[in-house]
Amino acid sequence: MKAVQEPSERRLIEAAQQDPSRFAALYEIHFERVYAYVSRRLGHREATEDVTSEVFHHALANLPRFEWRGAPFGAWLMRIAANAIADRWRRGAREQSDTLANDPASAEPSPEEIEIRAQLFRLVQELPIEQRKVVEMRFAEEKSIREIALALGRTEGAVKQLQFRGMQSLREEAAKVSGRSAALKTSQKKNRSGAANA
Amino acid sequence: MPKSNLSEQLDRAIQALFTPGAAPRRRDGAVPIAPVAALARVASELRGLPRADFKAALRAKLEGGTPMASKPAAAPEPQQTATAYLIVNGAASALEFYKKAFGAVETMRLTGPDDKIGHAEMRIGNTTIMLADEFPDHGAISAKTLGGSPVMLHLHVSDVDAVAARAIAAGAKTVRPVEDQFYGERSGQFSDPFGYTWMIATRKEELTREEVQRRFAALQQTSPATFAEEPKRTLPVPYIRKGFRTLTPYLLVPGAARLINFFKEAFGAEEIFRVPRPGGNRIMHAEVRIAGSMVELADASAEFKPRASTNILYVPDVDAAFQRALDAGATSLSAPTDQPYGDRQGTVKDPSGNSWHITTHGSGQHIVANTPAIVPMFQVRDAGKYVEFLEQAFAAREIFAAKDPQGIARHVRLRMGDSILAGGEAGEESQSAPFLLHMYVPNTDDLYAAAVRAGATTIRGLEDAPYGDRTATVQDPFGNLWSLATHIKDVKI
Repeated sequence: MKAVQEPSERRLIEAAQQDPSRFAALYEIHFERVYAYVSRRLGHREATEDVTSEVFHHALANLPRFEWRGAPFGAWLMRIAANAIADRWRRGAREQSDTLANDPASAEPSPEEIEIRAQLFRLVQELPIEQRKVVEMRFAEEKSIREIALALGRTEGAVKQLQFRGMQSLREEAAKVSGRSAALKTSQKKNRSGAANA
Repeated sequence: MPKSNLSEQLDRAIQALFTPGAAPRRRDGAVPIAPVAALARVASELRGLPRADFKAALRAKLEGGTPMASKPAAAPEPQQTATAYLIVNGAASALEFYKKAFGAVETMRLTGPDDKIGHAEMRIGNTTIMLADEFPDHGAISAKTLGGSPVMLHLHVSDVDAVAARAIAAGAKTVRPVEDQFYGERSGQFSDPFGYTWMIATRKEELTREEVQRRFAALQQTSPATFAEEPKRTLPVPYIRKGFRTLTPYLLVPGAARLINFFKEAFGAEEIFRVPRPGGNRIMHAEVRIAGSMVELADASAEFKPRASTNILYVPDVDAAFQRALDAGATSLSAPTDQPYGDRQGTVKDPSGNSWHITTHGSGQHIVANTPAIVPMFQVRDAGKYVEFLEQAFAAREIFAAKDPQGIARHVRLRMGDSILAGGEAGEESQSAPFLLHMYVPNTDDLYAAAVRAGATTIRGLEDAPYGDRTATVQDPFGNLWSLATHIKDVKI
């Protein structure tokens, strides 16, 4: 996988170090990636939101200390996220159903897996409005088909069709973006050794 | 495989994602087929999709927390590009009306010092509509002041009849009554008390543009004058005979004439017509309308033996209707009581032995939009299997099921076309009560073939009946009779 570290990001980081209000641009680039990583590790939505929020607040507060040495900014965020999750574990905050992270070390997903997820999250934003609504309500708000049908004033059959078309578009777009239609299959395997070379 | 099947399968796989421990399997136990499996993998990656408002809220918090936050929080992306803005005379009461009539949700209101609303927003379904009081000095003049508006508003709803009834109850006036339209919608027009006209519609058929164009062209060939007055049109007739729905109970009884009188007295039935049997006072076929729903009946014969069926009759006041039924000669099976699922229900047996669950709707989740006043019921042994049969043979769709701890279906509701069939397991208290249902379908030949494939036996084969229907009658493996019909031409009876 190509490390996402375009020269322009360096300028964005420097700008944000000068003026924290410009942190938003970095946030927009990395939000999905961080969220995908944390949600993959924790599973639980509330916990994921808490930790994601912690990561960005920490990053913003510590941005002046970030030193440009060619190490990707994304990797720095991931390290903050991994530490935040580990802290959660040390604090014994296991009351949330962090079942995926039974063994925090073995639950480490590959960067490639995270990238594919993050990419899908971004692609949802690009869907035609009705498909996007259905996908967001179904997956982010965890609503039933019936609830979505009521909210959108459509039949349940129509909502299922929109959901189907949404999945189709996402699959096609994801294949285009990655340039490899097999990308999703790869994500099913825990290809950790490959990830280390990223 | 048709796309709808794929979308159903995918949804089952997605449903399983949200159900811990459930593997995505088809009902028949097979694993999802390849295209669905690939999409299900996409879905499983989406399980952790962030909420859109979380991302926006966190960004706003981060920006708010910075010492140099110079920008306001990002404005939420507008939900729609074009928005209707209604100028009304009395915006506050208009908001109340739209809430009552269309279930609008008020999302914003800016009231000025004179109690006039300078700007308000409401959501109807997935759409925002803006409104304000009229301010003639600023050029904002209401539809009422102008004597109406040339701009109409079009509402898509899941049940046009119900929404139209609500709108009228809230004070709207009918401009054009609700009816099926050639372009695949069922719709009507209503004017609100503030001078705006609303077209309310429910999509009934999924049509291609070409099909709509074809039907429109066919309509054009008929001059407007003859179209309005003359039922003979070049258009194909709707497959459901006028006044009917997909399902109509057909009662085979001893004493049909007496039963018609009972329906009139007890349920306020209107007799549409009757055909007597030659040489006697027995009835070969009769149709009555009860609370907008048709019931057909005939004296039982050697070919069609009497069957005591069970139906639900929805009424506004169960206690009054129950008493009227008793006064008209019904026997009480159970007096009206509040049911745990929200309805109030009493049950009577009519003079011909049919059971009627007289019911006033509560707020139970078994109630769905567009429920007709009469809902036929099945009572069979192994109701679960029967539901599977109905799904296979007649494309029924389960919309509600209450099962007991043993997994036995006590009460299920199936959607069949525009109608509902209720039912449950026959038991000690509810003996099996085989019915005859008259079912209008788009293509009798196809459905007849599907029913026979699924195990039904032929009582009467396919024929073009003299009253304009193509029909066939089958008995399903559970003993219920189905008279399948497609209306093919209007015949003056």
